[in-house]
Amino acid sequence: MLQIKPILSTLMRNKSGPILLLIQIILSVSIVANASFIISERIDLMSRDSGLAESEVFDFRVYNFNPETDYGAQNGRDMTTLRNLPGVIGATSTSMTPLSGGGWMSVFTLGESEETAKETEGAAIYYGDEQMLKTLGVKLIAGRNFFEEEILQGSPNQANLGIVSQAFAKATWGDEPAVGQVFYAADFGQEPVEIIGVVETLQGAWVNNSSLENSVILNVELAFPFTKFLVRAEEGTLAQLKEAIPAALHRDNRERVVSGFKLISEHRKSAYRNHELMATVLSMMVILLLLITSLGLAGMVMFNIERRTKQIGTRRALGAKKRDIISFFLVENYIICLAGGVIGALVAVQLGQQLMSLYSLPQLELIYPLVTVAGLIVLTTIAVIVPARKAARISPAIATRSV
Amino acid sequence: MFFYYLDLAWRSIKKTPFLSLLMVLAISIGIGITITTLNIYQMASINPAGERSSKLFEVRLWSQGLDTWSRLNQQITYQDGFNLRKSPVPVRQTPMFMTGFAVQTDDPEFTPVLENARVTDRDFFGLFSVPFLYGGAWDKQVDSEPAYQVVISEELNKQVFAGENSVGNTLYLNRKPYQVVGVTKTWNPSPKYYDVNNGAFNDAEKIFVPYSLAPTEEYQSWGNNQSWRNEPMDTYAQRLASEAHWNQYWVELDNPEQIRAYEEWLANYIEQQKLLGRFEMPDAKAEIADVAQWLKVNKVVPEDNKILVGLSALFLIVCLVNMLGLLLAKFLKRAPEIGVRRAIGASQSQIFSQHMVEVGLIGFCGGVLGLLWAWGSLSLLSAHFELEDALTQLGYSMWVLAPSIAIIAALLAGIYPAWRICSTNPSVHLKSQ
Repeated sequence: MLQIKPILSTLMRNKSGPILLLIQIILSVSIVANASFIISERIDLMSRDSGLAESEVFDFRVYNFNPETDYGAQNGRDMTTLRNLPGVIGATSTSMTPLSGGGWMSVFTLGESEETAKETEGAAIYYGDEQMLKTLGVKLIAGRNFFEEEILQGSPNQANLGIVSQAFAKATWGDEPAVGQVFYAADFGQEPVEIIGVVETLQGAWVNNSSLENSVILNVELAFPFTKFLVRAEEGTLAQLKEAIPAALHRDNRERVVSGFKLISEHRKSAYRNHELMATVLSMMVILLLLITSLGLAGMVMFNIERRTKQIGTRRALGAKKRDIISFFLVENYIICLAGGVIGALVAVQLGQQLMSLYSLPQLELIYPLVTVAGLIVLTTIAVIVPARKAARISPAIATRSV
Repeated sequence: MFFYYLDLAWRSIKKTPFLSLLMVLAISIGIGITITTLNIYQMASINPAGERSSKLFEVRLWSQGLDTWSRLNQQITYQDGFNLRKSPVPVRQTPMFMTGFAVQTDDPEFTPVLENARVTDRDFFGLFSVPFLYGGAWDKQVDSEPAYQVVISEELNKQVFAGENSVGNTLYLNRKPYQVVGVTKTWNPSPKYYDVNNGAFNDAEKIFVPYSLAPTEEYQSWGNNQSWRNEPMDTYAQRLASEAHWNQYWVELDNPEQIRAYEEWLANYIEQQKLLGRFEMPDAKAEIADVAQWLKVNKVVPEDNKILVGLSALFLIVCLVNMLGLLLAKFLKRAPEIGVRRAIGASQSQIFSQHMVEVGLIGFCGGVLGLLWAWGSLSLLSAHFELEDALTQLGYSMWVLAPSIAIIAALLAGIYPAWRICSTNPSVHLKSQ
C-alpha cells in the first residue's frame, strides 16, 4: 500500500538529489543533536538554585584608606548605620558575595588524631555575623544561628563556630548529623571550629567550580581596610539606597570610597554569561539549521514536482487519488529521513565522542539524536506536504495534453 | 565574456527568483553564523604583543612542597620575584602584582575614587612597549632606592588633571603624596596578557607605582593569592616572606643563547634555594613561556569558542550541500535551453564557465548578506550580554574573509551541477522539444 518499491526505484533513477538530501540530513542530525545536548546541559547549570533572595540582596565595598582607622570599630558603626536606613531588612559585613566570581575558598582538616587527619572538600568561606542568614535569605534546616555575643572581630583565624551548607555537611559527614561536629581551619588540632547549624542551600562564588554548593559561614567580622557589605532591602529600593548609603557612611567618616553596588541577580547574570552566550548562539544555530534544511527540502520537492508533472498527471489519469500522490512524496521523504537519521545519529555519537575527548564536555546522551530525528520527521512532513498538495492538484488533463 | 556571463546569470536569477533567493539565504546564513563565531574566536585569540611575542617570557617556578600542587602555578612568590631581579641575563625584566588606591588630589572638593594599580619596576614600560604622552618611566635607580613616584594613564590624567601635562604634579594615593613622572598614552592590550589572573579581558591599570615601595607602603594584593601551606600572614613582613604565590614575573630575552643562558641561571637559582630549604620537590623546575604559549597555558580562548567555530563550520557545509541540491535542480531545469545553445555552437567549457559565474554571483550576494547577518548578530549579542567591545567588533579581515569564503564555497558547490549541465547530450533535449 505504501508503494515503497516504485518509490525506491524512482530514487535510484535519479540519485544525486536524494544523496544530497541524505548528506544534509546526516549533518543536520549530528549538529542539532550535539548542539541541543550542550544547550540543555548549560540550561541545567544555569537553573541551579542559589538559595538566596537574589533580587533583594546586593553587595558593595567600602575602602577605608586612612591607615589610622580602627577598622573593627568602624565596621561596627557602619553596620548600625546600614541597619537603620529605611528599606533595609538586614545587613552584614562579609568576606565574599555568592556568584560574584571572587572570594575565599579553602579545605579544612578532619579527624581524631594527627595520623588519621584528612582534608574536606573545598568550601567557600563567608565570615559574617548573626544577621548573615537573614540578610542572605537562606533557610536554616538544623541547629541554630549565631548569637550576637558569639561574634568575634578582627582576624579570620579566630573563628570557632560555623554554619555549613547541607551539601557540604553531606559531603563531609555523610548521614551523620553535622551539628556538633568539629573541623580544623588549619592543620590538625589548630583553629577548631564547631558546627552549630546547617542551611539548606548556599552557593559559593565560582559557578564553574565543582564544589559550588559547599559553603561555610564563620563567626567573625573581618577588620581590614577593605570591607564588603551585603544588604537585603525591599525589592526596587537599590537605586535609592545607592545614593543613601554612601551619604550616610560619609557622614560618619569621609576618608573612604564606597562603590560597587550590585544585586545578586546581576552577579548571577555575569557569572553565567558565557554559558548563556553559548546556549544562545547554539539555539540560534539549531533554529536556522532546521529552517534551512526544511526550506531546502521544500525547494527540492517543488522542483521534483515540476519535473514529474507528466508522471503525476498520468498516474492521476490512471486512477490514483490525490491522497496517493501526497503519500508518494511523504514516503519518499520518510525513506530519506530515516536513512539519514540512523546514519546521522551514529555520526552524532561519534562527534560527541570527539568533543568529549578534546574538550571538557560530558558524554552525549542517546536521547538527543533520537529526539532530533523525530523532530526532523515532523518538520520535513510539513516541508513536503505543502508542495505535495500542490502536486496532487495537477489535473490529469495536463499530462495528456502535451503528449 | 565575463560581463556577458554576468548578464546571463542575472537574467537566470531573475527567472527563478524563489530558488535563487533560497540559495542566497542558505549561503548567507551559513556565512553569517561562521563569521560570528570566527570573529569572537579571532578576537579572543589575538596576540596583543605582536612581533615582540616571541621575546617576552613569563616565568613560573615549581616552588611548592611535596604532595601539594601538581602543576606549575601561574604566579610566583614575592621572595622569588625579589630574587629573580638579580639575574644579569634578561634585557629587561620586572616582577609585578596588582593593588589599588583611593586617589585624591590637592583639590579638597575632589571625591576620592578607587582605582586599580600595578606595582612594578621601571622595565615594565619598555617590556610591554607602553607609549607615553608626557614624561616617562621613573629612573632605574628608583627600583633599588624607593621613591614616591607614579605613572598614570591618559584617562586618569583627564579625570584628575583635566588632561594637562601633569608631570611634576602631586597625586595622593591612600593619602600619601606621589610625584607624577609620566602619563601613558591610551594603552589597553586585549587580552591583558601581562596578567590574566583576574579576567583576561579586563582593562589595564591606570596607576603604576614602584615595586621597591612595596615593603614600606605594604601594598595589599588585589589579585589572586594562592597558598599551598598554612603559614601565618598577619603582618606584611610575614606575607613577603611567605610561600604564597601572588606576584608575576616577565623577562625579555632577545635570542636563543639568552634563552638558554636564562634557563641555566634559573636552574642554578633553584639549586641554590634548595640549599636554603625551599623548593622541596626533587624535580623542582622553572619554566618560561612566551606570549603565545602563555595565552595557551591560561586558556585565554575559551573552549566554548572552539566548539562554536567547529559546529559553525559544519553548519556552513550543510548550507553548501543544501545549495548544491538547489543548484542541481535549477540547472537541470534549464537543460533544454542549454541543449539549444550547445547545438548552435557553445562549447562545453563556455557553458561551464557561464554557470560558474552565475554560482559565483550567488555566492557573492550570500557573502554580503552574510556579513550583514554577522554584524547584526554580533551587535545583538554584545547588547544582550554586555560583552567586551574587543570581542564583538567585526574585525576588518572579516570584510574580506566573508565574501571570499562565500564565493569559494559557492564555487565548490557549483562545480558538480555545472559539470552535469555542460556534459549533457544536447540531442536528448532537442528531441523532446
